[in-house]
Amino acid sequence: MSGLSVAMTVNGQDRSLDVPVTQTLLETLRDQLALTGAKRGCNQGVCGACTVMVDGKPVRGCLSLTVNCDGAEVTTVEGLADGGALSGIQQAMADTNAVQCGFCTPGMLVSAFAFLREAKTPSVEEIQYALSGNLCRCSGYRKIIDAVQLAADRSAEVSS
Amino acid sequence: MTEPGIDVAFHRPRTVEEAVALLRGDDGAMCLAGGATLVAMMNAALVEPSGLVSLSGVDALRNAERLQDGSARIGAMRKHCETAEETVLENGQCVLREAARQIANMPVRNMGTIGGSIAFFDPAADYPPALVAADAVVEISGPDGERTVPAAEFFVGWYETALGPGDIVTAVRLPAAPKGSIGLFHKLARVSGDFATASIALILAMSGETVTHLAIAVGACGPTPVRLPDIEAELTGKVLDGAGIDRLAMTLADKLDPIDDVRASAEYRRLVAPRMVKRAIAEAAATLRGVA
Repeated sequence: MSGLSVAMTVNGQDRSLDVPVTQTLLETLRDQLALTGAKRGCNQGVCGACTVMVDGKPVRGCLSLTVNCDGAEVTTVEGLADGGALSGIQQAMADTNAVQCGFCTPGMLVSAFAFLREAKTPSVEEIQYALSGNLCRCSGYRKIIDAVQLAADRSAEVSS
Repeated sequence: MTEPGIDVAFHRPRTVEEAVALLRGDDGAMCLAGGATLVAMMNAALVEPSGLVSLSGVDALRNAERLQDGSARIGAMRKHCETAEETVLENGQCVLREAARQIANMPVRNMGTIGGSIAFFDPAADYPPALVAADAVVEISGPDGERTVPAAEFFVGWYETALGPGDIVTAVRLPAAPKGSIGLFHKLARVSGDFATASIALILAMSGETVTHLAIAVGACGPTPVRLPDIEAELTGKVLDGAGIDRLAMTLADKLDPIDDVRASAEYRRLVAPRMVKRAIAEAAATLRGVA
């Protein structure tokens, strides 16, 4: 295997890896680091199941080449919880049963997590727009949107 | 599918000159900008580059600036999320910002770049009609040095541009738009985030009810964006009148060269594009009236 060495921070841990040039970040995370939260759906950047954060911004794991992420800070769904405590959006998704088959959930969580850092009192339309890059094949959008609103409401209560 | 073990070279140059030299040294090498297009193509085994020249380390391509003459220069590595909030765009130049806001979805806008998008040139993409309507030029660096090509000539045909071997898009430059003009981008898509079924990029300025500047380009309705000089000339210098717009819009279908594809039939595009033009003009005029 022809490999290049890449150093990145993944969920707060420094990682040094040898990866083939054409390996996507999604493949590295799943196959080399056993972080199987991000899913491979379309592998074309359309479905959003592979969404992870690179340097704090949600991107497509399947469209990112790992060799191009040297020095980057990567956060996957496994990195959203703070120690044993679920993040607000994770708890809200659990509480609203916003999960059906679960395949889209990691990507949804990462997109929603990033969105909620910016949007404190989002409208339904804003949530729909923010999550428009994440497809739910079970079409269970309603509860996912409810969960994002619940998480926003809870964090508003805490900070008020 | 990406195959581990294939021998692909990876380069991360710091300058455009180095990047051009690397491309020149390997016929099968390709530029990697944000990855939103190229990696998708690689995943689908539609391209198999022998080498990748990543432009992510070329800082000179990241800037956006406003030049003395009021033109706006957007570096090729500016991401869609940046162009969507771009403050160096003014007046009708904002057509580019409006287009950027409607590209795909947030995670893709966080990756994709304007240089990568136009170098690939999907005719259903959002930037091409916006750049053509704005009379933009594309700045290119290549083995023979630097040159600029008007956007209207840069987009040559389906997935085909004026780029030659070893050429890199370094920036797009939008000339100053008339003061008080507005830019608007209307996109019809099957679902939010899809490529356009048809799109309209429009720049309009009015003095009272008289049209002083009008530029219209239709996207996704042919091998290149379709600029409408006849209609623009007919309407410019005159009081905006609904009947005249209706009549002209109906001549539009003949100027388009759409295809049947998964998004719509050619016939549907011929029917919908004139209506989109009418709606875009009406909305732009209403906005200007509200501002005045």
